[in-house]
Amino acid sequence: MRRIFAAESLAGNLSLSHKKKCNFRLMSTIWSRMLFAISLLFLINSVLAGNLHRIGMFAEEMAGGYFAYRMMHYEIIGQDGSASNITSRYSNAATIPGPTIIITEGDEVEIELMYQINPDRENSKHNQVSIHVHGVHYDKDSDGTLKYINLYKDESATPVVSYIYRWHAALGTAGTWPYHDHNMDSHNGAEDRGLFGALIVNPASAAMNNIKKEFVLYIVDDAIVGMETNNTTGQHTPLWVNPTLTAERDSDVRFHVLALGTNFHQFQLNDYTWVDPGTVNQINTKAIGPLEKHVFVVNATHSSSYMDTAFSSVLLGMKGDFVVAH
Amino acid sequence: MKGNMSSHIYGKKMKTITAIILFITTWLFSSITLAASHNIILSAETLPNGQYGYKMISHTTDGAAPNYPADAVIPGPTLFVQGGDVVNIQLTNNTNIKVGFNVGGLSVGNAISILPKQTRNYRFNADKVGTFPYGDEKSALLGLFGAIVVDDPSGKVQSFLDGDGTLTAVKRDQLNKEFVMFMVGSTFWGAEISADGTQKPLWTNPTLGAVENQLVRFHVLAVGHAHTFHLHAHRWPDSTNNGNTASSNIIDVKLMSSPHSSHTFTIKAGTGVGPGVWQYHCHVMSHMQSGMNGKFHVVAAGSGETGDSIAGASPRGKIFLNDSDEPGLVTFIMSDEPGSWFRSARGNALSPVTHTKSLEIIPPGSSVHFIMSDTNGVHTVTNLLWPSDAGKNDHGGDHFMIPIDETKAYRGGGIVQLNVPGLYVFTCKIHPFMFAAVIVDDPKTDGLDLGNTIDLVSGIKDLPTSSDLATRLVSTFFIATTPSNWRDFTSTNPWHVAYPNVDVVTDAGKLSLVEVLEARYGQDVQLTSLSKPATPGVGEVWVDTQFEKTAGKTKPGAITVLDTSDWTLKRKIALPQINMNNPHNMWANRDHSVVYATQWFDTKLTLIDQKTGKLIKNIHVGDTPSHVMTLPTTDDVTIAIHGENGVVRMPVGTTEVDYMMPTQQHGQAPANPHGHWISADGKRIITPNVNTGDAGIYDTETGQIVVRTQTGGGAPVPHPIAIGMMPDSSRVYAANLLHHSISVLDGNNGALLNTINLIADYNPITGEFADKDGNGVVAVGVLPIQTPVSPDGKVMVTASMGGQIVITDTTTNKIVKMLSCDPGCHGANFGAKQGGGYYAYVSSKFSNRLIVVDPDPNGDGKLDDAEIAGSVSMVADKGVPKDDTVSNLAGFGGQGVLPLPIVYNGWVQNLPSEWSAGLTDKQRNPIQ
Ligand SMILES: [Cu+2]
Ligand SMILES: [Cu+2]
Repeated sequence: MRRIFAAESLAGNLSLSHKKKCNFRLMSTIWSRMLFAISLLFLINSVLAGNLHRIGMFAEEMAGGYFAYRMMHYEIIGQDGSASNITSRYSNAATIPGPTIIITEGDEVEIELMYQINPDRENSKHNQVSIHVHGVHYDKDSDGTLKYINLYKDESATPVVSYIYRWHAALGTAGTWPYHDHNMDSHNGAEDRGLFGALIVNPASAAMNNIKKEFVLYIVDDAIVGMETNNTTGQHTPLWVNPTLTAERDSDVRFHVLALGTNFHQFQLNDYTWVDPGTVNQINTKAIGPLEKHVFVVNATHSSSYMDTAFSSVLLGMKGDFVVAH
Repeated sequence: MKGNMSSHIYGKKMKTITAIILFITTWLFSSITLAASHNIILSAETLPNGQYGYKMISHTTDGAAPNYPADAVIPGPTLFVQGGDVVNIQLTNNTNIKVGFNVGGLSVGNAISILPKQTRNYRFNADKVGTFPYGDEKSALLGLFGAIVVDDPSGKVQSFLDGDGTLTAVKRDQLNKEFVMFMVGSTFWGAEISADGTQKPLWTNPTLGAVENQLVRFHVLAVGHAHTFHLHAHRWPDSTNNGNTASSNIIDVKLMSSPHSSHTFTIKAGTGVGPGVWQYHCHVMSHMQSGMNGKFHVVAAGSGETGDSIAGASPRGKIFLNDSDEPGLVTFIMSDEPGSWFRSARGNALSPVTHTKSLEIIPPGSSVHFIMSDTNGVHTVTNLLWPSDAGKNDHGGDHFMIPIDETKAYRGGGIVQLNVPGLYVFTCKIHPFMFAAVIVDDPKTDGLDLGNTIDLVSGIKDLPTSSDLATRLVSTFFIATTPSNWRDFTSTNPWHVAYPNVDVVTDAGKLSLVEVLEARYGQDVQLTSLSKPATPGVGEVWVDTQFEKTAGKTKPGAITVLDTSDWTLKRKIALPQINMNNPHNMWANRDHSVVYATQWFDTKLTLIDQKTGKLIKNIHVGDTPSHVMTLPTTDDVTIAIHGENGVVRMPVGTTEVDYMMPTQQHGQAPANPHGHWISADGKRIITPNVNTGDAGIYDTETGQIVVRTQTGGGAPVPHPIAIGMMPDSSRVYAANLLHHSISVLDGNNGALLNTINLIADYNPITGEFADKDGNGVVAVGVLPIQTPVSPDGKVMVTASMGGQIVITDTTTNKIVKMLSCDPGCHGANFGAKQGGGYYAYVSSKFSNRLIVVDPDPNGDGKLDDAEIAGSVSMVADKGVPKDDTVSNLAGFGGQGVLPLPIVYNGWVQNLPSEWSAGLTDKQRNPIQ
């Protein structure tokens, strides 16, 4: 599987050289195309069977007018048919963000959603809730949208019936992806009222053993809400609003910064730099708009703080400490 | 499931091998072209709905030029060139506005704009590979935009990510089609370029079509506001930062930053997911809620379906006065301009018939489009009323968009298709006098269809369209949206309101609109001449004449300073140097050396020298600041940020805000606080939370929520807009604009004590006014706004937009009197009356006088003799000092009122001697 990444960097190099030697453009173009084409032919054995993640989640109401997802059941079925139940690694209450689901390229997810919200009796057609996921593969039964949008069917859990979504983290879908409701109250869903979480798809090609902690930070319009995963214990901990993040010195930790709502943000982690994904640029601040993602790894060497430097975000105190200790 | 998916993938593997071999063959032997020059002749045209578009007249180049649409289109023609090419543009301006030609990201030499009927040449070098928006810098949002695609001379375009994870290089001639999708306001404007180069306009929010596995390149561009583009079930490499090089950063959402940006990517339709109707949309919540979405329809290969795209509503489609077979689109420009807050793009052409620029007429199935192209503020697009059927669950899918509304104020626009005939009125929740009306008229009926019944956002359902309340709202609409219908007290002519002379179809059959409105609400009323109050006031009154226009700036609004010793105008302050925009409300610091003014359609708080009227500083405080007040304890300034989530603080002695007190908990619906008040001891801030329908009591020290109490008797949208408070902080009064009521709350624990119904004496069907609540007076307050309590706590005066002033006895919380006000009656505040007692100064948006109310003329403590003591023109004559020349709407737009000295309990005690000298002992200690 490493070949995919090798091929990609090869393509990158070739196009670079082809720009430089424009005098020999025709020659070098044909040459590079042949090379690239040959490398492509090696890629075709790329189907990878993985684990099956069987998940049950609730969509619930929380005090304060919020909605949230709650993990009910999480079982991983291995390729050999072995099953391991990891439900206890998750909070047994509804959380915002919702449970972080961590899988690997090649895995499949079967996620059953149950409606646990007081139905609105006047507008029974609005009593629907869903999970719409970004990034991974799914067929038209698992888009998590309404018939009004997909012209096919309402893909929702309702007060009377649950709904099962099936995702395939095919090769090429590595990354961090938001999932969120798309159907409650309206065809836009109630994502802005708490029904959102993160799906992390680790690449099949590279082990992620070095990463000790995952910080999912959702920047909403007036706060940053967090969810931590300790990769050593597998435990997920809701961090709630503008949390203090803690890491062991010299450990690698991964930030998954996502945004949701109407506002635009400027995320910053002071005194650290990292590579802007897909580029070679070293950055320490990143503009991020609703439902974008920005993922990076830092080696925790010193305490610092993260913040959103947009004007009203500063006034609202949308920031937190990053505490690094032994 | 598992087996299914695997076989699906193995099937694809074979297809992939075939595709790759084909691809290698074409790629190796394709030719490489040399730099070319392009001579392009364009014109800028006006479209039937009043929007603008570019039209391709000719494109001459060495190779074959694409097949362009014959007419002007939005987006404009897509210009495909190659890196290194030289592009000469000749532009003729056939519109009635100035038009230019700029390219975001490429430099165009000497890109000045041209007047109507002029022609100019522009030239640029395509020296960067990428997609760039071209257009007119000023009017782009109305349609003058298009894309220039500069491709790599090798023909290489953006790689796609195949369903098996392979990043695959692509040449342009392998593409089956390309889409140009502009994100503008809250609408997508699309065009399709087929493999043979034919360009087809797809207009607004089209259904994009493709056959599974076709290679499709998207050019997503934005002009104006920021967006995030999302396409369901597809993912692609983000090549934004590396030209066309395949990137390892796989995304499915992309930030399109302001003021212009572009993002190009290639996908293989349905790869890994199969056929389906996949939504594309902006992922900004308020934009989603205002209609910014469309469909990407991927049909199965071999299914026989062609995967053709379907164009959306178009400026050339069917609308009033424009026949067509296609669905039409009318456009409202959202503006800071008085009266024209929602102005039809063809308003000037319609207004001879409609007598307003804010009314449009469309057949069922056409769409209404909103664009915030002429405003510095944030707004919402919110249905105030709609035909009852349109909002019903069992009436097709319309209930997903009608009533249209957004959770948050925002920058952008909106788009909504209207299928049910009848009357729709749109407003902004932040600025509830901004109105647009649309009549969806079934061409088969005789007369314009108002429909049988309407539903109102305030919760009223199935209101007959012939009812008094319905026609009163219609009359209010025509007054508010047309400045020539406002009450001008400088004119000696009777007050005439021009209504359109049209027949309308209501539940009571066909009626003449003008006859009904004139019969019910009068016409050519002789206005009473103004007379000054006999007893002087103390000090000055600063009035936001928010709509007054001056010559030195584009934005409206002046502050009018009245000397109450002789009731003459002392000064006009327009602040042309900062283009002061809709000054709305004011307060002063403790020693009254500085007056603070909010710019309600902007982002600024302005500091003005009280003595000279000169600008001290203009400070960015947040979106759409509404009211300002100081803390009586510290003199810190608090500003309600109406378009956002809280009240900001500017510490005394500083000129920067340092903190926002959120009006709701994190992640809860934004409260959108408007006219807050502060308790006399400075410990509590009370906000009327417009968006969430409650009054919030907050602890000043900790910034924590003490309690939030729903107002307006459980109505869905009561719209609490302003707060009054007893001088001992014992009670809070919240005026509910759309519930026509005052909620009375306990000042300590927020408990709801009482709801004063201001329309109990009004019959909404017949329009009859009678003492139905049996309190001994006939008193009505339609659409109440500011509602201050007198500094001695004896009386509350409520300015009501329907044109009434309601006097309430605060000892009994009973209405004791109604006084007549002007249309758009809005601001009210108490100042000291010479020799003791208080005046309430009341302003009106749609008139140019200030009314002086004396709630207790004989000082006997009884309020039944409350009266209008006089009224003063807000129009300055030549002798009044001004910082700019008044050019239009003189004295109009009365909103915030600030009498100086500030005589409220808690503040009056802190006055310096020069300001307290004119007060009586009782006025200095109002509740002792
Ligand atoms: Cu948007
Ligand atoms: Cu507004």
